[in-house]
Amino acid sequence: MVSDPRFDVVVIGGGHNGTTIAAYLAKCGLSTCVLEARPECGGGQENTEVSPGFRIDPHATYLYGGAAPGFEQLELWKYGMRMVYYQSMAGIATLDGQVANMGSRWRPDIGEESMRKNSPQDLEGPNRIFDQLGEAGTKELLRALFWTPPHPAGTEVEPRDLPWWQVFRKHMPNLWFDELVDMSYLDFLDTFVHWEPLKALNAMAAWYCGAHPAWDGMLLQSLGGILLFTYASGAPRGGMHTYAHAIIRCALAHGARMVTNAPVDEIIVRDGRAVGVRLAEDAAFPGKTVWADKAVISAIDVQHTMLGLIGRGHLDPSFIQRISDISLKGGSLFVMSVVCRELPRYHGRDEAFPEEVYPSCVVAPADSLEWVKRQTRDAYSYRRAPELRPEHLTMMICTHDPYDSTRCPDGYHVLSPIYLEMPPPIYDASGEHQVNQQKEEITSAALALLRQLAPNMTDGNIVEVFVNTPEDSEFRNTGMVGGNWYGIRQSDDQWFGNRPIPELGRYRTPVDGLYLCNQTSHPGGLCLMAVPYNLMHVLIEDGVAEPGGWWYPAPYYVPPGGSPIRAGE
Amino acid sequence: MRTEYGAHPTEHILDEFPERTRFDVVVIGGGPNGLISGAYLARAGLSVAVVERRQEIGGGLSTEETLFPGHYTNPHAFYHMMTEYLPILSDFDLAAHGLYFVRPNAQAAAVFSDSTSLVLCNHIEDSKDAIAKISEADARALGRVMRTWRKVVEEIIAPGTYLPSLPPIDMVEALERTPLGREVLRLTEMSPLEIVSEVFTDDRVRATMLYLACMWGLDPTESGLGFMVPLMIDRAMSKAQCYGGSHKLAGALSREIHRSGGIVLDNAEVTQILVDNGQVRGVACFDGRVIESSVVLSSLAPPLTFGRLVAPDEVPAEMQEAAAYWEWDKWSFATLSVVTDEAPHYRCDDPWVDDALMVLVGLDDTEDVLSHFREVAAGAMGDRLVGHATVETRYDPTLSRVPGHHVSFLQLHAPYDIEGGWDSREEEITAQLLALWRERCKNLDEANIVMRSLETPVDIERRLASMVRGSIKHGDYNPLQMGAFRPHDSCVAGRSPIQGLYLCGASSYPGGLVIGGPGYIAAGSVVEDMGARKWWEAPRFVRRYEERYLS
Ligand SMILES: Cc1cc2nc3c(=O)[nH]c(=O)nc-3n(C[C@H](O)[C@H](O)[C@H](O)COP(=O)(O)OP(=O)(O)OC[C@H]3O[C@@H](n4cnc5c(N)ncnc54)[C@H](O)[C@@H]3O)c2cc1C
Ligand SMILES: Cc1cc2nc3c(=O)[nH]c(=O)nc-3n(C[C@H](O)[C@H](O)[C@H](O)COP(=O)(O)OP(=O)(O)OC[C@H]3O[C@@H](n4cnc5c(N)ncnc54)[C@H](O)[C@@H]3O)c2cc1C
Repeated sequence: MVSDPRFDVVVIGGGHNGTTIAAYLAKCGLSTCVLEARPECGGGQENTEVSPGFRIDPHATYLYGGAAPGFEQLELWKYGMRMVYYQSMAGIATLDGQVANMGSRWRPDIGEESMRKNSPQDLEGPNRIFDQLGEAGTKELLRALFWTPPHPAGTEVEPRDLPWWQVFRKHMPNLWFDELVDMSYLDFLDTFVHWEPLKALNAMAAWYCGAHPAWDGMLLQSLGGILLFTYASGAPRGGMHTYAHAIIRCALAHGARMVTNAPVDEIIVRDGRAVGVRLAEDAAFPGKTVWADKAVISAIDVQHTMLGLIGRGHLDPSFIQRISDISLKGGSLFVMSVVCRELPRYHGRDEAFPEEVYPSCVVAPADSLEWVKRQTRDAYSYRRAPELRPEHLTMMICTHDPYDSTRCPDGYHVLSPIYLEMPPPIYDASGEHQVNQQKEEITSAALALLRQLAPNMTDGNIVEVFVNTPEDSEFRNTGMVGGNWYGIRQSDDQWFGNRPIPELGRYRTPVDGLYLCNQTSHPGGLCLMAVPYNLMHVLIEDGVAEPGGWWYPAPYYVPPGGSPIRAGE
Repeated sequence: MRTEYGAHPTEHILDEFPERTRFDVVVIGGGPNGLISGAYLARAGLSVAVVERRQEIGGGLSTEETLFPGHYTNPHAFYHMMTEYLPILSDFDLAAHGLYFVRPNAQAAAVFSDSTSLVLCNHIEDSKDAIAKISEADARALGRVMRTWRKVVEEIIAPGTYLPSLPPIDMVEALERTPLGREVLRLTEMSPLEIVSEVFTDDRVRATMLYLACMWGLDPTESGLGFMVPLMIDRAMSKAQCYGGSHKLAGALSREIHRSGGIVLDNAEVTQILVDNGQVRGVACFDGRVIESSVVLSSLAPPLTFGRLVAPDEVPAEMQEAAAYWEWDKWSFATLSVVTDEAPHYRCDDPWVDDALMVLVGLDDTEDVLSHFREVAAGAMGDRLVGHATVETRYDPTLSRVPGHHVSFLQLHAPYDIEGGWDSREEEITAQLLALWRERCKNLDEANIVMRSLETPVDIERRLASMVRGSIKHGDYNPLQMGAFRPHDSCVAGRSPIQGLYLCGASSYPGGLVIGGPGYIAAGSVVEDMGARKWWEAPRFVRRYEERYLS
């Protein structure tokens, strides 16, 4: 009889975070096995060639993780990591005929010129934060926000002394005042931004980068999300799946096993300790039980992990209830991809966005911040798809091919993704299939609006349209709860040590040897290699991992019993 | 302040794959053959870079979400014809990593217009039982002929797949040694039509066998390649499906390359093979990256390798000739995929047909098959078409992420050039294919079909630049492009006349499909020429053949 496979570490789920932690641990010399439910690893890092030659982005699209220690520590360059940097990342178009090209980190002149034309008083606004922080300052701030493990429970720290505020204060003493820590990004926009379309752009951008602009106490997270976007100002050559390939190949090169078509059904717990996992009946792997000598790492969402994979007998009812109540509101997206022959020419004006500096992501119609708020209210307060009127349908319209020729054949363009907010399926007031039933209706309203903004987006110009709803995302990737791109809400009560709930805030669980490594832990969504980096600190504390000289911890990391680091002020 | 980072977009914020690197070996194209070469060579201790144009490796081993969202198909290779033989499976112990091939007993069914049917099975006695409904004589004939043909495959053709080709005269001499070899020589001189007519009497049986013999590219009436008929018919009853999708085989091979320290670089179309005074120096990619290497394996056909990638003045005369006279496949494929609520259910006397891995529709007699191939070769999708259908999710439910949905396809031979062009005729041809399918299938009504998508010969070429004109085998199967002539008689065992340049793709001996021969043979030559460690041993069936025929 063949004995069951046995590894030091078993990782459940081969999405971005699962593959990354596997690469880290394999590099530490641990025998590591990733068990992935789908036929392919990568999770939300996916590019799909539905139609021959055209690559669409059903989930992740931009590189936000440019400041990640993982690029250096895992040496992803060796495994084919390549970037394309864009001349312009963002643009604005309003229904009433205005346009603005915001350029990118690489071409700040473009944005400046637009502001000078549209709203000179905004030349000094939040757009300058990146400038003021500089390359090194931005990286430091981003690492404090995202690449820092939550402090051990009980660490006493004033909000103003949380790592990111320390860095902010250090670099921008003139901008600092105490109220900032409780502000929402909307408050901030109201105070500092003048031009209405710029407010709409910033609100949308913040939200699509992680923290909703309306959430109190999430000002710097919102700004930080935008800085993540700005910092890289581009995407991996060929799309986000190529970045996943680099991570996966790194893990393989260090000896990790990656098994696909291997859904995990159960985490085996003995005497309060996770000792292995049981695979589903239809898993394609020689053994149906896989033992883990040192740790089981769940890289799928916290609700499936706690409510689905662990016998309820191991958890107490109040804990179970709190897991069930974790909020999924925030990032459930209706994603359209449009193949067309011409890029949208907003208001029929060629000079609006010349092709060599075409904004990769256009927010439109960006007439009013109120329109953005309406969409949010529809999705999260009324819990339904947005009303199908322009005043509720502000979209993000993205394209990569002006800068990356691998995305589609010459003579064509791909607008992918085009995003709209939706309620998570299970929260939909009319039932979880409601948005899918409205798929065509929503799509045609969105396309009609696009044509209103850009008259050349006619049926003749549009070759094909692909639509992916939050419910579809859940089918494709059962770990993508609510079709939410950050899994669970990234609000102050589900952030840092509170994410997903305080007891689980440092990736440990009530079950010994079981750790969390999914976007439902801090710092949340986006392919940042951040959850694994942060988790590494905890695995080192617990003696699971012993990295070599290539490892460096976060500067603001607080070990158990340690006291919070203070930057010199 | 701005100058610090406000530079131009070529500035890097993270380390990237270098603009210039050096490897021992570069492989152009990450299809099955390129990956196989890469995996053997990497494990031999050479530093290997497989350079692939697409975002996904695999070439013809692809699994894509073509029925978006939530349904996957294998738009290229679906039927794995050589899984009992493929040396990679055992040399790399791929099953231990969860790579499984499902080979159901019910292999190839045919449904005729009078609702009779037959199901050819992996178990020959089951095939005989099925044929006996139609013709007792043919059932016995099948039993008899398969005892020989399976031996032909096992003893001669399968081993020949993993050994370099022999010059025709040596080949004849080798085969003359045994009665089985002499039978192969006899068959070679016959056309597929002559062979099936010699063995079988009932025209439904003949038609079925003829289709199976020719579906991968043999001309039904041409002689000279008759030795492939036993192979094609035996393999038609031995096909397997890769669980989780064909792409998993590509993934497994890529894993082996990385575990051995090699790399696969995707999204990196090679635009130039650098040659200097008859010696290979490396490759250049579309984004200007250069990978230096004194050994390059190209999995692309001569018109691409020598016609496009090597500078004209470095191409030797015989390779110019090979590139100029190369004939692409005589036909390609058009594949209609559908998502349905109910799996297809055939109108016939035997419910077992529904379980068959492949179901032939549209044929009643040999003339149907002949006219089908004739019309397609002449550039038309005529009105007497024959095709093969498969329910992809029957043995691999993982291809649908939406519970309760089935994914199936109907595939037809199709010309690359079609009047009016494929793009403008998609709807019409979709309707034509559906009508053909519905003639034999009860429940493919509109209410049952959730989604559909057509992949045309032009689409094949759009996905895979290696398959010019939708050539699924990178080049026609005809006597001038087979055996020692594939791709040219100056290339033996994958070696080209340019020093350091090897050929490892479907356009090289023994040919196309996921049979692994070209990649395996080229890897052997490279290891030998570079003096690297040949860590693998020829499989037993190959060694037996060498002893019996070549020693
Ligand atoms: C529409 C959209 C847009 C986005 N845009 C961006 C972007 O532009 N940039 C960016 O960086 N990020 C973006 N993201 C976010 C990013 O995709 C996610 O944050 C990231 O993929 C999360 O990684 P993860 O590993 O935590 O989870 P996932 O990537 O979801 O991986 C979880 C994996 O676990 C597997 N799994 C589930 N259950 C089991 C089981 N029982 N057994 C075994 N395996 C299982 C799943 O199949 C999946 O592969 C976007 C996401 C969406 C949905
Ligand atoms: C519709 C269809 C159905 C098929 N069905 C079957 C089947 O059922 N069973 C079967 O066995 N076979 C089948 N085949 C055939 C099989 O897929 C091929 O014969 C096989 O894939 C050939 O393998 P290869 O490695 O030689 O070339 P390919 O698979 O063509 O791989 C070549 C690779 O090179 C890449 N490339 C091209 N140009 C460049 C460049 N300039 N630089 C870098 N990379 C480049 C391509 O992207 C590709 O990945 C089918 C093919 C098609 C199209």
